[in-house]
Amino acid sequence: MKETSMKMSLAEQQRRHRSIIVISFLFIGIIVAFLISMNTGVIRMSPLDVLKTLFGFGTTQQHLVLFDFRLPRIIISILIGMGLAVSGAVLQALTRNALADPGIIGINSGAGMVILLFVAFYATPAAAPVYLLPILAWAGGGIAALLVFIISYRKHKGLSSNRLVLNGVAISSGFSAVTILVSLRINPEQYQFVSTWIAGSIWSKDWNYVIALLPFIVILLPFVYYKSQTINVLNLGPPMATGLGAAVAKQQIWLLAAAVGLASSCVAVSGSIGFVGLIAPHLARRLVGQRYQTLLPATALVGGLLVLVADTLARWILQPAEIPTGIVVAVIGAPYFLYLMFRTKG
Amino acid sequence: MFGKSRKLIVVLLSVMVLSLVLAACGGNKENNEGSSNTAATESASPSPEATETAAAPTEQKLTDGLGNEVTIPANPQKIIASYLEDYLVALGVKPVAQWSVPNGIQDYLQTDLKDIPTISYDLPFEAVTSFTPDLLILGANSTVEGGKYEQYSKIAPTFVLGDEVNSDWRKALLKIGEVLQKKNQAQKVLDDYEAKAADAKTKLQAAIPDQSVAALWLVANKFYVVSDKLSSGAVLYNDLGLKVPNVVKEISASGTGSWNEISLEKLADLDADHLILINSDKSTGSEALKDPIWQSIPAVKNGHMYEYEAASSWLYYGPVASSQMIDNVLKDIAK
Repeated sequence: MKETSMKMSLAEQQRRHRSIIVISFLFIGIIVAFLISMNTGVIRMSPLDVLKTLFGFGTTQQHLVLFDFRLPRIIISILIGMGLAVSGAVLQALTRNALADPGIIGINSGAGMVILLFVAFYATPAAAPVYLLPILAWAGGGIAALLVFIISYRKHKGLSSNRLVLNGVAISSGFSAVTILVSLRINPEQYQFVSTWIAGSIWSKDWNYVIALLPFIVILLPFVYYKSQTINVLNLGPPMATGLGAAVAKQQIWLLAAAVGLASSCVAVSGSIGFVGLIAPHLARRLVGQRYQTLLPATALVGGLLVLVADTLARWILQPAEIPTGIVVAVIGAPYFLYLMFRTKG
Repeated sequence: MFGKSRKLIVVLLSVMVLSLVLAACGGNKENNEGSSNTAATESASPSPEATETAAAPTEQKLTDGLGNEVTIPANPQKIIASYLEDYLVALGVKPVAQWSVPNGIQDYLQTDLKDIPTISYDLPFEAVTSFTPDLLILGANSTVEGGKYEQYSKIAPTFVLGDEVNSDWRKALLKIGEVLQKKNQAQKVLDDYEAKAADAKTKLQAAIPDQSVAALWLVANKFYVVSDKLSSGAVLYNDLGLKVPNVVKEISASGTGSWNEISLEKLADLDADHLILINSDKSTGSEALKDPIWQSIPAVKNGHMYEYEAASSWLYYGPVASSQMIDNVLKDIAK
């Protein structure tokens, strides 16, 4: 008896040790990707130029490119990756469904529909204030999630994960159907705008958006991390969690709200970037295991790294043109997803 | 379960393949001479015949279509006016970079824009910066949405025509003339065009009195017919006073775009005496033209069908494009 418990704690120690190493590697990965990304673009800037510019010795042009074009975009990519990934991890725990991601509770389709309706009825989004589209997208995502939530909620029983997933799928398809219907009636230029947005092009790339996004990430990520023990318990399923003394319904609502807040603020800035919320938690789980205390930081780092790499590739592959980041994420993501499918079956 | 996941795999695989194909077919048109040095030498100074600017031009402040106050340099040398090159050519100004999409450029302007490096239609910030422009002229409002105006104006003074001006080439020409301090020249281009159109109109009335003309665009095996008021339709029916076939009237009334799709059935009813065909399917064999319905259209049967390449000016809009369309009509229809 004593022996087994000692063995377990040894295994536990090894695992923690491993997690710390993995997390440090991910962190270094982000820094490396950050540096490479700063050197990537149409305008050639050597690492030395970048360094000089960072310390204020670059030319005006270099300064403009680095501080106004590249840095905000890099930071937004990392923040979006983190937000979507953590939101996905939380949703996977809440629904106890490995396929859950922010899209599944209707956030992407809700935001997409609101953007489309706005573009269809006010033909010139350019004349609108800069923040209007993100705020609308945020509201659209929130409304969709709220709808799913209200329909899935049962008094006394709390949130049933199956209901959440099924209702989410239903509401998403409903919103997508409306989106397609309306998109048939708008002119090609408007349609192009909407489709670029839906493809997940990080189109808002100045400091204003960094500032708009930052509070959500800075408040909600620590909040979710603070709740990681609760998530561990919830992940065991409502009956078990209740047995262990968790106020299941209340915790579910808080965490769901946090996940929705994270995902819809990210979607609002980036357009709909799929797959990150699905893949990042899976990858992280493979690296550090199921405990949310280590899983959450690892997920956030994987997500940030994934979107940053995807965005760097998006800027690099077809230079000087750019492809929407969401598409690159999907191109990287689809094969991995396939791999997962085959593995799970075997 | 097995069947379901297999289906999913098929779907995912096809998504992947599709996206790869998309990425691949976008990638082949690259222009490697984008470095600012070559670009600078290539941008010749504005045309020498700018006699009107006898008084030395000075910096001017103008309000653009979105209400921004723009300080325009006295004599901009490195202009980017993406998809507005038609006007620049008309005014004898060479831009520092020209509009392009992954599979093409504005071929009909290439006699004047030869050797000018291309820039992607969506004007990525860094690509714009790499040309170190001193003036940006943009057309539609949508080009600067999402706070892009702020970013562009950090690169160079940025003047947005706005949707209203941008959709009417006469207004756009005069506005760009004002921005480039070539007001008189712009007016002259416009006057010359109107004179040319009026002259062509008289000739056409003598050559093919009371006959109707329709313009069809064939792309991806589908036919589109030009609206009776927009794009090249404005040139045919408005400037040249040609008769609008009933089918074209009907489709334009219900459609919204410059080019509206026309079904094969409607095509059979097409009552035009002359047909202008812009063929974007030439490289893929123009299968649609072998269809018996197409063959049975009166204008086709009578040999009154005139085919132009997609590279011709018919799909564009502006003083140069419109003028080239008139040349085509005079040469081929009113011979």
